[in-house]
Amino acid sequence: MFERTRQWIEVRLGIKEIIDSGLREFYLPRGAGFSSTLGAVALVAFLIQAISGIFLLMYYIPDTAHAFMSVRIIMNKVPYGWLFRSIHMMGSNIILAVLFLHLVVTFYRISYKKPRELTWISGAIMFFLIILFCISGSLLSWNQLSYWSTTIVTYIPTLIPGIGGRIAEFIRGGQYVSGSTLNRFFAFHVAFLPFTLVCMAAFHLFFIGRTGFSTNPGSSPEGDSEPQSVYKREINANGMPFYPDYLLKALVLVMVYLASIFFIMTFFPGLFQPELATVQADPAMTPDVIRPPWYFLAPYQIVKLIPNKFLGISAILILVFIFVFWPFIDGVNERNISKRPLLRVIFILSITVWLILTVWGGY
Amino acid sequence: MKRRKFLKTLLAFFSTATLVTIAYPAVRFLSPLKKKIESKKLVINRNEIAAGTAKNMIYQNEPIVVVHDLTAGFLAFSRVCTHLGCLVNYNGEEKRFICPCHAANFNLEGNVISGPAPKPLVRYPVLVKGENIVIG
Amino acid sequence: MVDIDRVGGVLMRIKLVLILILVFSSTALADYRETFEKEFVNKPWVGSKVVEEGVCVDCHTSDVMKPDYLGIPQEWKMSIHYENKVSCHDCHGGNPSDSAVSCGTPHSGFVGIPKYKEVPKMCGKCHIGILKQFNDSKHGKALMTSGRGPNCVTCHGSHKIQKANMNIINKVRCTRCHSYKRAKIMKQALFMTEKRISDINHSIRQLRSSGASTEKAKKMLFRTEAGFRTLFHSVDVSLVKGRTAGFSRKLDVIEGMIADIYKEIRFRKNFSAFLFLLFASLAISAYFIQKNNKN
Repeated sequence: MFERTRQWIEVRLGIKEIIDSGLREFYLPRGAGFSSTLGAVALVAFLIQAISGIFLLMYYIPDTAHAFMSVRIIMNKVPYGWLFRSIHMMGSNIILAVLFLHLVVTFYRISYKKPRELTWISGAIMFFLIILFCISGSLLSWNQLSYWSTTIVTYIPTLIPGIGGRIAEFIRGGQYVSGSTLNRFFAFHVAFLPFTLVCMAAFHLFFIGRTGFSTNPGSSPEGDSEPQSVYKREINANGMPFYPDYLLKALVLVMVYLASIFFIMTFFPGLFQPELATVQADPAMTPDVIRPPWYFLAPYQIVKLIPNKFLGISAILILVFIFVFWPFIDGVNERNISKRPLLRVIFILSITVWLILTVWGGY
Repeated sequence: MKRRKFLKTLLAFFSTATLVTIAYPAVRFLSPLKKKIESKKLVINRNEIAAGTAKNMIYQNEPIVVVHDLTAGFLAFSRVCTHLGCLVNYNGEEKRFICPCHAANFNLEGNVISGPAPKPLVRYPVLVKGENIVIG
Repeated sequence: MVDIDRVGGVLMRIKLVLILILVFSSTALADYRETFEKEFVNKPWVGSKVVEEGVCVDCHTSDVMKPDYLGIPQEWKMSIHYENKVSCHDCHGGNPSDSAVSCGTPHSGFVGIPKYKEVPKMCGKCHIGILKQFNDSKHGKALMTSGRGPNCVTCHGSHKIQKANMNIINKVRCTRCHSYKRAKIMKQALFMTEKRISDINHSIRQLRSSGASTEKAKKMLFRTEAGFRTLFHSVDVSLVKGRTAGFSRKLDVIEGMIADIYKEIRFRKNFSAFLFLLFASLAISAYFIQKNNKN
């Protein structure tokens, strides 16, 4: 019976064929290890956010009078509401760590070289989209912490001379963070961003499917004689098949990701919820210390440290530009980072500076 | 081969356990919320409260006050002040509920007249049925 | 292709220089932070307090003010009143948004220093329950008849008013008028209930930071605490002792509520710990499967 049903479906859908030709024969380079699965982990992490987010959407009310209460009801009245909210909240922070690792690995292996420039750019855009997700999502719980950190974050665009104030007003839907900001961020968070991100992810995956996974130049150097104008798919015939080998590796890391969510939930339930986050937003009551969320501390610190407002915001925009278009800026063709001391210095320096600024901004 | 089979069984076992552990909360989460106020109403005799006075009582573990006003009739409010939670008292002369802690004043509709209270008092529906008053 | 390489190299050097500039400027201009925050905090979004502070505080911190009154805004800012947005006009009257108000002009409806006997009336505008108890107490009667009894400020001070605690009842203060013997008996009568209240307060704070809904317990505790402290103002030991049992029962109820919340938190912890173990086991078995697969 089971065999016959399988046969019936197989004749019509041809899943086996898809697996055989599309996945089993999609080979990864030989050296591919766990570090090559971080993108897949990020994808699953995003799906987890989407599913838990849909759950929260069923009880959440995007209105200043009810937002905080509805979150509280999810946390305390709705059966297991705390579980889905905690998954969503912990996930939103840990997904950034996954993305960051993914980014570091990609950079360290110089995988953004031809023909993968567009893969890098779409990934960089997705990185910013996820940050926007985090910012817009945090305001939705409408507590003192999120209210005032949104105030700070939306303050940064005002530094742009001339139109900066207008941009900030445009983002907030008014002069201050208010009910219209909440509605904007809500629409942004649940409709615009998911759609955009899925489109970007589709591009990202399409590029990977076309060019194949990049090699690890440290363990298996690749020939670089082909001219840039000709498309050449790397076959890696003796490499690792996508299914099942790669997917099993990805499965391990996905499980580690989920385990770390529940680890933090069990042992540090208040890690991302300081006391201010338990008080309803009050525009008339500024807390003693207000600072942006941790992933925004570095740019905030840059703006704070550079004495000229225009220079500060320009520095940030230039850095964003350099980051997104890095494959075109780095013109050297060598892909082995051990042969590129200058790039290694940049690599280590930017991570260190980012960490220092983040810690510094936290004080 | 044996080892492989064992590992696969193990994975299947843990996957099933995990799925069940996630599915149960999901089903509970999506089931309609139970209303615990199962029409448990409070019935009192209307003679218990003389016109122009009020009576404090307990309804669903919540302190409430039932007022018999000459013009507005019977009214029921939670006594818990919306400021910090002290219990308000009814003042018949001023027709107001006054909180003893920080002097929040509420009128007969439960709305804040003065003081630090951020929200009106919670109001309960009252139904007069012959000699009886039904609250809730 | 050589051209592209060269351009790339130049651009990379530019980026390096940029990063270096950023790093150096940040170390050199660290005190910019202060000006930045000052400007930030002075934005109008900081809230309605600004109006009040502008009108009263401007004069009270300026040179035309008598030195004795200069420190008042600073004291007020350290008080529980400031924390709860109770500002000058709430006690002293007057209209802070009146544009005619300026330094040196007497503001309409404004009461400066109230008369010694009038202080309870001023505080009692809000603390009406306590005022009632106080007026009926020996303290209050002494104040009203002889004008020599204590008023609110005697124990609580003015402007820099803190949330009251047991240490307000002490030998130095009480013996200014009478022997410490009776005060000590009162303090002992209060002690156990006060300790329980502060313990419950502590648990509620703890629970709140773990995301639990403590609103109801908090409100119940506040009214119990407020009721007990109001009762104290009768300074009648036998009355306090007689009604302690009633308060103690109310505290039992709150403690029961808190125990329930703790139970819920423990359940959540166990549940997520269980899920953690499941996913960890899944990770481990998947790891061995993929390892086995390779061979």
